[in-house]
Amino acid sequence: MTSQPYFPELRLMLPLTVIRRERLLPDDVDGVVEVRANSSVSLRDVVARGTNPAPYVLIDAMKFFRLRDPDQLPPLMQVEIGDTVELNQVIAQKGRRRLLSPIDGRLAYAGAGRIIVQSVPTIIELEAGVNGVVIEVKKGRGVVLETYGALFQGVWGNGKRAIGTLRSEPEGGMAQVTFDAIDIGFRGALLVTRSPLTHETLANASDQQLSGLIAPSMEPDMIDAALAAPYAILLTEGFGSMRMNSTNFRFLDELDGLQATIDAVLPAPLEVRRPELIVKVQLPSVGYRPPHPNIDRPLAVGMTVRLSRGDMAGFVGEVIDLPTAPVLLDNGLRVRCAQVQLNTGEKRVVPLENIEVSG
Amino acid sequence: MAALLRRRKRTELEAYLNSAPDDAPAVKSSPSASVPITSILAVDLGNVHTRAVLIDQVEGVYRLVGRSQTRTTAGFPIGDAYVGVERALLAMSQSTGRMLTREDGQVIIPEQSDRSGVDLFVATASLGRRLRTVMMGLVPDVSVISAQRAAAGTYIDIVETISLDDRRSVQDQMNAVILARPDLIFIAGGTEGGAEAPVLELAQTARLASRLMPRGHRPIILYAGNSELVERMAALFSDQVLLIADNVRPTLDVEALESAQAQLAAAFDSFASAQIVGFERVGALSRIGVQPTAQSVGLIAEYLGRTAGDTLIVDIGGGSSVLAAYVYRHLATSIRTDIGLGQSAASLLRAVGIKGVRAWLPFIASDNEIAAYAYNKTLRPLTIPERQRTLYLEHALLRAGARELLRAARPVWTTDTADDDPNAPMPPFAQIIASGAALTHTGQPGMTAMLILDALQPVGVSRLRADPGGLIAALGAVARVAPEAVVQVLDGASLDDLGTCISVSGTPRDGAPAVRVRMTNADGVIETHTVMGGTLFIIPLPPGLRADVRVRVLQRGLHIGERSRIRTRVMGGEAGIIIDARGRPLPLAATPRGVAAQLPAWYAQATGEAIQRIPEDWLTPKAPAVTEAAPAAGARSGESPEPKRRTLAEAARSKQRREAAPKLAALTADKPERGRKRRGQPQRELIADDDLFPDLNDELPSGKSDKKDDLDDLPTLFP
Repeated sequence: MTSQPYFPELRLMLPLTVIRRERLLPDDVDGVVEVRANSSVSLRDVVARGTNPAPYVLIDAMKFFRLRDPDQLPPLMQVEIGDTVELNQVIAQKGRRRLLSPIDGRLAYAGAGRIIVQSVPTIIELEAGVNGVVIEVKKGRGVVLETYGALFQGVWGNGKRAIGTLRSEPEGGMAQVTFDAIDIGFRGALLVTRSPLTHETLANASDQQLSGLIAPSMEPDMIDAALAAPYAILLTEGFGSMRMNSTNFRFLDELDGLQATIDAVLPAPLEVRRPELIVKVQLPSVGYRPPHPNIDRPLAVGMTVRLSRGDMAGFVGEVIDLPTAPVLLDNGLRVRCAQVQLNTGEKRVVPLENIEVSG
Repeated sequence: MAALLRRRKRTELEAYLNSAPDDAPAVKSSPSASVPITSILAVDLGNVHTRAVLIDQVEGVYRLVGRSQTRTTAGFPIGDAYVGVERALLAMSQSTGRMLTREDGQVIIPEQSDRSGVDLFVATASLGRRLRTVMMGLVPDVSVISAQRAAAGTYIDIVETISLDDRRSVQDQMNAVILARPDLIFIAGGTEGGAEAPVLELAQTARLASRLMPRGHRPIILYAGNSELVERMAALFSDQVLLIADNVRPTLDVEALESAQAQLAAAFDSFASAQIVGFERVGALSRIGVQPTAQSVGLIAEYLGRTAGDTLIVDIGGGSSVLAAYVYRHLATSIRTDIGLGQSAASLLRAVGIKGVRAWLPFIASDNEIAAYAYNKTLRPLTIPERQRTLYLEHALLRAGARELLRAARPVWTTDTADDDPNAPMPPFAQIIASGAALTHTGQPGMTAMLILDALQPVGVSRLRADPGGLIAALGAVARVAPEAVVQVLDGASLDDLGTCISVSGTPRDGAPAVRVRMTNADGVIETHTVMGGTLFIIPLPPGLRADVRVRVLQRGLHIGERSRIRTRVMGGEAGIIIDARGRPLPLAATPRGVAAQLPAWYAQATGEAIQRIPEDWLTPKAPAVTEAAPAAGARSGESPEPKRRTLAEAARSKQRREAAPKLAALTADKPERGRKRRGQPQRELIADDDLFPDLNDELPSGKSDKKDDLDDLPTLFP
């Protein structure tokens, strides 16, 4: 029996790539796409609109007008199906007896002796989330957008989107970004910090009117505060007190000063999007077509990987061996592993499940 | 003789399957339908893993010949579930040397003369969004409860229930249905020849609500009530998908769920096909569409229960978990989509509470450490613990989640509410089968067995088996097309035999002789052992071998399945014969220090490895430092540095200590169990209490008091 191929987790971190993103309304929402194929959209543009179901009011018109036959109702109607109606507007009339709308809404149905009025539904607006081009329209559902740039995916977001200039925190960390600072260059920026988030950091970011924060981690008891923050938050490592690893920080630091967008998607069951940062970068030449992410590569010797767990989480290295037999870990589990030589020179035996690739 | 037995079992399985109506699920027409089936490929699409098993005839008998697993690709970045299937089949081809797919990824059906391809492909799935379902029935305790039982094996969320007891106006009921945005409305009610008008009223409400929904979003209607109304239902719902099943409650005393279950499976297949890219392609290959995994698991549990004694199957998945019990001559399947060791780790923590997890930890852990572990597991569902501390956290979540699954499931095991107490002793199960990566991918059969015992705490004598490859789910689907294959595969060594466990109930005194065991193996060799209270004792007996065992309890108040001595024939396994002399309910200590004296010893006893004692600083409350980015930094997301594995000499010394461990444990551990019993308090699993952690609460990292030790007060990851 030979070893079976293993496809590791993919968390993209690419300096220049084609980025395709699907933007769809929830599957139970009826909607309309507002943009056309090949049109350009920016981050905040609404690409589709849908309506949430709204309550209905059922009126027994037979009883109200004392009708003997349901067919007597249609001639009495004063508004058409689908028409908007206002509170107390006459919707049906027989002689001097008038039936008034009990709510603001829309006439949904009139028949079988009954009238149904729907209250005003709430509108769902679907934003593009990226600056790009519409390459496909999915009727009634949404669009597929394409753009290019540097791409960095994190693990958690607070559900907000932001656009701004990417800035690395100053020497000394976030504490140096204060009101007292003369430098107002951080205002509206997407700030990268190497330290775990604290309540102080969040307050400071609010005071400085940052548009977004990219941080390695935070403790779980800060989730509510992070969700309530008026700016986008993207975590790169996860929950706990991990600092940002140097590979991630270097990648982001090299993009310092460039325009970027954060789509800090809040993870949810069945949510297929990842919280991510897209940075606008110059193409090396006119007409250059950036490569697509490589999403279909099995793990192999020589591949560059990133550790996603353990005391070396975030470190990057090269796979130097893929033993076929399971390896006994310190904790007693016996699992398939890879031997990875880290950039630091250290060799580690790592469970396959704890390896990610960057595309 | 064996062939005769197999024929008998096959007849039983066929008889069971034939009790379901032929009309559902509709068998899809397939060009290979008439080809004799010699090879079968079954695929299970889970939220985290996609698994495949290959069954083929070896010397005329169906055998499991290969299995493979890969990550599910329905989500980012692939977004196509079929790619995962292709990868799993590619892996299968590489490991078995048999070509299963063409270059375009299509499965080769039927089997070709060069042995490429297979004759039959079936699929099961548990991934995707659950069907939002409105239940409608006449009487909550009759038709509604039967409809709910029928739905127990399908991945649905009951978002609204409407019955005659509902005091709301028609308008309010209609709005409730519309605002619930159902994918399915399940209408039951009226015994055969019984009530018609009230059932029609319910159907009218469903129709009115459906008509007010956008045409493309109208729910599937499933009618399983009084059959005299079928034609009128067809007329009422002529403009939407209507599924008809047999009445779930033909008389007040009879419940008939199979037809409705089959139609629910069809609805699940249809719904998932519309939602998940690649799902339809998988379903098109299968003669019976894609079956819900839980329903398949339930089918096999029932078959095994009828033929081999009461059976419990527990499947702890990444996104959902299933518990199928055949007990009291009745199958009960429970699905919990909030319990799982992957994407559902955060919701699992919400379900069991921080306390429930902490009770299983042999060290002091802050709320944040426990929550961070669960949340990170949700964010990276496939990752596995690399260190001792995180393994304890993972297994604490697993044990607490499985206990919660069991607690919630037990009330439906019987219709007699007298058996509803989830803390009452378990009924005896002849066999227990564990599935799901967290339980079965430990690489250590003894560890898997111990986790099963801790989580389920069986009583009496139980054969323990593991299903690391998702075979049970596959067989459930295969059973509908080729029942003989199921019988033969289950008869073969297709599941991992862990061994047989003999569980001692009562409260054995730690370190004192609890039971005497006399085992006679097939060669007539006799071994006798005295097993101390508070320990797991393993007698090696390889898989496939049998032995006669006599066990006698040595302390007053102890028993094995209500008997003081037993004589039985047991099956060996990779772990062996396990004498669980720790007692029932499991006397888990109430303090971290007490648990620290128990768990490492139990792990060592179960695996045969050297005991790994808990470092003293893990038992001292302190604020963890913020970790640095430097390689030497520890305690990243709970992966704290810890002592290296011991040398052989240290292991030998620890073995000596282990032999003395029961006494040490008796000295160091609290003994609340016996104390409580004397004081007449209920004998239940001991849960750590806030009052037992005064120091911890005083010294939380944030410096604030954290008396509210419950996730009700913690923020939710997915609001």
